[in-house]
Amino acid sequence: MTQDASPKPPAPTVTYVVKAGHASAPQTLEVHAAEGDIKPWDLDSKLRVVKGRQPRLEGPLKVTGRAKYTFDISMPGMLWGKMVRATVPAAEIVKIDTSKAEKLPGVKAVWTTEARAVRFAGQDVAAVAAISPEVAEDAARLVEVTYDERPYVTDLQKAMEEGAPTVYNADQIPDSPKAPVKGNVVGPIVPRRGGQRGDIAKGLAEADVTVESTYYVPVHTHSPLETHGVIAKWEGDQLTIWASTQSVSTVREGMAEYLGIDRKNVTVITEHMGGGFGSKLGASAEGSNFSGVACKLAKQAGAAVKMMLDRHEEHLCTGNAPAALMTVRLGAKKDGTLTAIHHRSFGTAGIAGGAGTGGPSGNLYANTPNCLVEEHDVFTNAGPAAPLRAPGHSQGAFALESAIDELAEKLGLDPLELRRKNESSPVRRIQYDIGAKAIGWERRNKKAGETAGPRKRGIGMANGNWYVFARGSGVGAEVKIHRDGSVEVFQGSQDIGTGFRTAMAMVVAEELGLQTRDVTPHVGDTRWPEGVGSGGSNTTNSVAPAVRLAAHDARQKLFAIAAPLLGAKAEDLDAAGGKIFVAASPARSIGFRQAAAKMPNEVISAVAERKKQYETYRQDLAGTQFAEVEVDTETGTIRVLKVVSVNDCGIPINTLTTESQIIGAMIQGVSWALWENRILDRNVGTMVNPNLEAYKVLSSKDMFEAVAIVSEIANAGNNTSAAGIGEPPIVPTLAAIANAVFNATGARVHTLPLTPDKVLAHINAARRA
Amino acid sequence: MAKPPDDDSPASGVSRRTFLKTAGVGAAATSLIGAAPGASGPAVLGPDAVPLALKINGAARTVTVEPRVTLLRALRNHLDLTGAKEICDRGACGGCTVMLDGKPIASCLMLAADAVGHEITTVEGLGTPDKMSPVQAAFVEADALQCGFCTPGFVVASTALLRQNPNPTLEQVKDGLAGNLCRCGTYSRVFEAVLKAAKATPVAGRKA
Repeated sequence: MTQDASPKPPAPTVTYVVKAGHASAPQTLEVHAAEGDIKPWDLDSKLRVVKGRQPRLEGPLKVTGRAKYTFDISMPGMLWGKMVRATVPAAEIVKIDTSKAEKLPGVKAVWTTEARAVRFAGQDVAAVAAISPEVAEDAARLVEVTYDERPYVTDLQKAMEEGAPTVYNADQIPDSPKAPVKGNVVGPIVPRRGGQRGDIAKGLAEADVTVESTYYVPVHTHSPLETHGVIAKWEGDQLTIWASTQSVSTVREGMAEYLGIDRKNVTVITEHMGGGFGSKLGASAEGSNFSGVACKLAKQAGAAVKMMLDRHEEHLCTGNAPAALMTVRLGAKKDGTLTAIHHRSFGTAGIAGGAGTGGPSGNLYANTPNCLVEEHDVFTNAGPAAPLRAPGHSQGAFALESAIDELAEKLGLDPLELRRKNESSPVRRIQYDIGAKAIGWERRNKKAGETAGPRKRGIGMANGNWYVFARGSGVGAEVKIHRDGSVEVFQGSQDIGTGFRTAMAMVVAEELGLQTRDVTPHVGDTRWPEGVGSGGSNTTNSVAPAVRLAAHDARQKLFAIAAPLLGAKAEDLDAAGGKIFVAASPARSIGFRQAAAKMPNEVISAVAERKKQYETYRQDLAGTQFAEVEVDTETGTIRVLKVVSVNDCGIPINTLTTESQIIGAMIQGVSWALWENRILDRNVGTMVNPNLEAYKVLSSKDMFEAVAIVSEIANAGNNTSAAGIGEPPIVPTLAAIANAVFNATGARVHTLPLTPDKVLAHINAARRA
Repeated sequence: MAKPPDDDSPASGVSRRTFLKTAGVGAAATSLIGAAPGASGPAVLGPDAVPLALKINGAARTVTVEPRVTLLRALRNHLDLTGAKEICDRGACGGCTVMLDGKPIASCLMLAADAVGHEITTVEGLGTPDKMSPVQAAFVEADALQCGFCTPGFVVASTALLRQNPNPTLEQVKDGLAGNLCRCGTYSRVFEAVLKAAKATPVAGRKA
């Protein structure tokens, strides 16, 4: 880099003036887009399709059982793969005997691992491919593995103790951490984004009041209903993989590298996908190389191999949200002005790193002059974590936002007023009013637990933060207009259940003056223009701008055909309601289909590349939540009555599916707060509840009134003004529920999940105090 | 575990769970069906694949499977009816729900052999993408699905619920769908869809 002395000439830009911010407080903003980019949608844009409530286009396939997910695909001669997994948490593998499995009629291929060290119960050891799932399961049970078992540790706090068995020797630690390592503990790590401001000791010394508490959040498994899995099929040196993945491009890259073949020889397809929540961003899974193994078995057997994990495996090796032990110290003046935020956390991502939880503490209340975030990763003999919906932020917000409530209690301030006083986001200020009104904040107990009777109701709130992530280059889209007037859009990214494909069709329909159902989207295929992995809430905002550019280009081409027919210039035309017309005199029009019929070729094809991100109204995404609960103080049972989530995602492309994602995040958050807990047996190091009955997730009977409110904000640094929404609404939920329980009962529970035993113990302690 | 025989129980009275419990791995290849009172003993099938005559969505289908194959896997892996999903594989999630003689059951907990002689209705039998049932159409309209993997189970359970109770309250809908899990978090949209479908269809001559 330093050898290149000549500075790069600045890329040419085009300047647009946009009406940005929230409609209640608009702001004029000058943005500098890349040359060739079009004016972004803003508060003044007259949008006909975008922002509407469009049922998802693949809905009819899904509700009639016709949508083919990876798990549903089969082909003639296909074999079924089954992995054999380590049954012990720490060992050296002495011997893997597959001879009995190989002899079983119907078994066509066998794989064994070259790795010798076992670090968690659930690690890949061997695999088989057979003519039916039943025979594959039989064969897997016939594989005999001899282990030389080693000491292990599965508990976060035990792993931190001196003399605890170490998961890794110092030279084996993955990703060579840049922080000090002591036993199983790596850290402190001060995150780059918002990790440190001012002087924390000074900030605490200046405070009139301080609070300090330690909080614990257990491991939550993603539990997508379609388990991880692939079908691998070779034709010569061409490999096709149908994958249940959040990133077809990552599967392609990962498998090309693992198998030593060219990426161009690998095709990855994900037409419909049964949920991921962050666990399906890799080429296989965080704790299993099932894709690679399936490809090898397929090669060995000379037949397609389908390898779908079962529910037990899904819990063990496909990732989870790290457990975290977090201490938050806050300092404030008597009037509530924060002087210091100190967040110190020890998280365990099992055998992996990346268990930090300081995002909210480092980025909420950003006007606080003194802030320090110190994160530690603690290795345990457990399956590796994977990103889960705003990784680390739900845990971190549980600690910070519980502490803010404790500070409010100590200062005798309304928790909402305390947050307002320290708020650094103009968007969240607006959201406070919207959310407080929707929940009826004035109904809350002025004194916690003051309601008479054994069933006590309470209202609480909490904030969450997230960021505008978007890929600014390397993303493409193709739009085709056929002579019969039909329109298709092609984009490689996968629809993981967010409604991405429908949103892309809406963007095209908006640009071409059509209805959404006139556009057929094709997604989830590495043969289409390159997409992104669906992580960081970045899919729509990375892809929609490229789709809009391609649609705009196709529109220009069609206008050039329509213009002479209307006796006008192409630049004077507009399109709406299925017609192309002269903007100044709409009566001079021609139908979209009639114009397309005049095309000289069979198809207009327009391919566009994503242009760079540019100035945004805000770099962060604001969100706040309010919750109402009822606690039975005799049984400790919590019933969540209502949750209101107010979120910013730029301009929502499809308001209907945007709300659905927000509702879904609230539900997953409530489920985590009240029940979810991966339990490892400390005596044998294996998971006690690897299923969906003892690993309890929220069901119909637990359902509350979920209110999703999108606070539209322009702009988000791209021509559609879209930002993401999949992750932000799960960030505040854990704390909002805990704060509502406090308001109901006066009991402050620092440890999740909020099961009746803990709630009762804290209610009794609060009574005694 | 085995229930006393009645009209609704599988022909053999042997659930998959008791069956698997009593049969070893290598031996888990026989099933008892067609036990007729007074006969010399139950017919023993297997361990190899046997032809089974099933009635699915009103059509006669023959499937040749090992007797240990569940109804769910027979539908999915042998009849290409993949609407019912294998999610938990132990009756905890409702993703594999089909109707057996009009009542919703977990098809992962029943052997295909035990479904002989019963009317099986899968989500595919309720409607097509071009001609959706009222429940299916209401699901699409209310966005009562995200990834959609749990959706066929919810659609079948909701249809069975409305056939039994054409005008449910919200609480009754929650009760009726208590056996179905959704991870994307669509419950409130599902309730909305079911209540909307109930309203949209006149009670007399309703076909949910």
